[in-house]
Amino acid sequence: MKLLLDSSSSLLFSLLLAHLPVFTSATPVPPRRPTDMDKLSNQTKNLMKLTQELLREHAFDSDVEPHRFRSLPEMSNRSANDLTNLELKPTLSQLHADLKLYEHHFEWLNRVSKKHHHPALPKLVEMIREMKSLSNLLHRQMLRVEAPRLTQATPSLPPHLPYQFDVLQSSHELLQHFKLFCDWAYRAFLILKPKVSAVQ
Amino acid sequence: MPGLLSSPVCLTVIWFLSWSLRPIRAQIQPDEVSGVRYAPLQSNVTLACRKSQIRTPVVWHHNNSAVLPWHKLTSDGTLVLLHVDLSTQGNYSCYDNGGLLLHSVKLRLGHRPGSLSISCRLPNHMRVRCSWVESVKTFLPAQYNAILWIESGRESKTCVVDVAQKHCDIDHPSYWSSSQTLSVQETNALGSETTYVRLPFDKLLKPNPPRSVLVTAIEGYPKKLNISWELPSSWLLHEAFPLLFHIRYRPQGSLYWSEVFSEQSPVVIFDALAGYVHQVQICARDEVNNESMWSDWTAVTLGMPWEEPAEVFLPEDPFHEDFFPSLTTMETSTTKTDDSLSPEDEGNVGLVILLVLFSVVILTTVLSLIFVVWVRQRRRNHVTKQELSSMLKMKSMPI
Repeated sequence: MKLLLDSSSSLLFSLLLAHLPVFTSATPVPPRRPTDMDKLSNQTKNLMKLTQELLREHAFDSDVEPHRFRSLPEMSNRSANDLTNLELKPTLSQLHADLKLYEHHFEWLNRVSKKHHHPALPKLVEMIREMKSLSNLLHRQMLRVEAPRLTQATPSLPPHLPYQFDVLQSSHELLQHFKLFCDWAYRAFLILKPKVSAVQ
Repeated sequence: MPGLLSSPVCLTVIWFLSWSLRPIRAQIQPDEVSGVRYAPLQSNVTLACRKSQIRTPVVWHHNNSAVLPWHKLTSDGTLVLLHVDLSTQGNYSCYDNGGLLLHSVKLRLGHRPGSLSISCRLPNHMRVRCSWVESVKTFLPAQYNAILWIESGRESKTCVVDVAQKHCDIDHPSYWSSSQTLSVQETNALGSETTYVRLPFDKLLKPNPPRSVLVTAIEGYPKKLNISWELPSSWLLHEAFPLLFHIRYRPQGSLYWSEVFSEQSPVVIFDALAGYVHQVQICARDEVNNESMWSDWTAVTLGMPWEEPAEVFLPEDPFHEDFFPSLTTMETSTTKTDDSLSPEDEGNVGLVILLVLFSVVILTTVLSLIFVVWVRQRRRNHVTKQELSSMLKMKSMPI
C-alpha cells in the first residue's frame, strides 16, 4: 500500500512538472523594469497632474497678476530650441536647484495656508511630499552621473499675507509657475533619458 | 517785344492759356482739392468752401450732381451735412457763380475703432498666431500695432501684423513663461483703441490635424485594419514634443464611432466589421499637456478590411442608419453570419483546445488528490481496526 501511495504521489508530481512549461508560457512577458529616468519623468507628470487639479479646484484665474514671488526659477528665457540642445549634467543640476526652490515656496504656502485653513491643504501636503521624492530621486541620478549640486538660491518670500484672498492669489501664481516648470522638466527628462544611458 | 505782346494773336493765346490752366491751378492745391475728409457717421459734417469769409453765393455738387443729401448752407458758403450716413460719402465740390471750382474734398464716413475680439493659437511650441475681429465695423482703413508683453512688461516682442488678414505672428515665444499679454492697437483716421488679452500659451496649443492618413487591409484578416498617418507638418519633429493621437472609426453608415488612442503610427484595429467599408478620422494633441487643445479631425478616410476574393460581397445600397443600434450588436451579427474559418478563428480554436487540456489537467489533479486522501483514510481505518483487535486480544488474555 505504501508503495502505491508513493507511486501515486510521484505520478502526481511528475504530472505537475510536465505541465509546468504550459503554465509558464501562459504568463505574460514581464515588462521592462523602469529606469530612474523613467521614474523621474513619470513623477514629474504626476506632479503636473496634481498641480492642474489644485488649480482647477482651489485657485482662481484672476486678471491681475500680483507677481509676489521674485525668486521663482526664470522660465521666460527657456525656448523650445533650448530643449533640443540640452546637456545632461548642467540640466540635471539646474532642474534640481529649481525644484528645491519650488519646494521652499510651496512649504511657505503650506504654512500660510494652515493659518487661513485653506481647503487645498491635504493636496498641497501630498504635492510637497511628491516634490521631495522627486528631488531625492533627481539627486540620486545626479550622483550617478557626477553632476554637481548648485548653490541654493535664497528664496524671497512675502513676509505676511493678511487676507485669504492674498493666499488664493499666491497659490494661483505659484501653481501656475510650477505647472509650466513641470511641463518643461518632463520634456527635459525625455531628452536626457538616452543621454543618461550613454553615460552609464 | 511789347509790340509782340500787344498783338491780338498773342493776347488770344495768353487768354486761352490762362483760361485752360485755371482748373489745373485749383487742383494742385492739396489741402483744398485733393484732400480726404474723415468724419463719424450719424454726426453733422461741416465742409468749408474756402478759407476767407467772402459772402458770395456758391454752388455745391455731390459726386458731380447738384442733388445734395440732407444739409444746410450757411451764408459764407459752408455746407453742413446733417446726420450723415454711408450714402452721404463721396466727392464734394464747390463752385462760384461763374462755375469756377473753389474747393473739392472726398468725404469718408465711419466709426472710431472699438475693442477687438482676439483669438490666438499655437500650432507648435515655437509660433503663435493671433487673429482678431472688430466689435465695431468702422468702414475705414485701419492700421494695427500688436505687441506681446511677457511677465507684466518685463520683456516685449513684436507680433508681425498682416493687415489684410487681420492677424499677427510671433516666432519663438516664451512658451513656458507664466504671464503673457497681447496688446493690439487699432488706429484709423477717427481715433485708436487698444485691446489687451491674456494668453495662457499652454492652453492655446493646438496642433494641425495629422497628414496622409491611410487605411489599409491586412491580408488574411477580415476584421483587421491598419491605420497609418504622418505628423502635422507644422509640429516640431523632436522627441521633446510627443503627440497623442485619437483615432475613431466606424463602418460606413453607422452612427457610432469606436475609438482608440495611440502615441505613434500605425495602429491596427482588431474589431472591424468584415466586408464593410470603414470611415476613419484622426486628431492630435500634445501628449505632455492634457490641458492643451485637440487638433481638428482629419477628413474622413475610407478603408475596407481584407476579404477572400471568392466571397466578395459589396452591398450596392449602404445600410440604413437604423441598421446599427450599436457597434456591439454589429459585431455579434457579423460573427453569426461568417461561416468561413479565418486565421483568427483558427487561433480561437487553438485557445479552446488549450483550455480543454488545462481543464483535464486540473480535473486529473483534483481526482488524484481525492484518491490519495481516500487511500490514506482507508489505511488509517485499517490501522485503527488492527489496534482495536489487538487491544481486545490483550484484554481477553489471562494475566
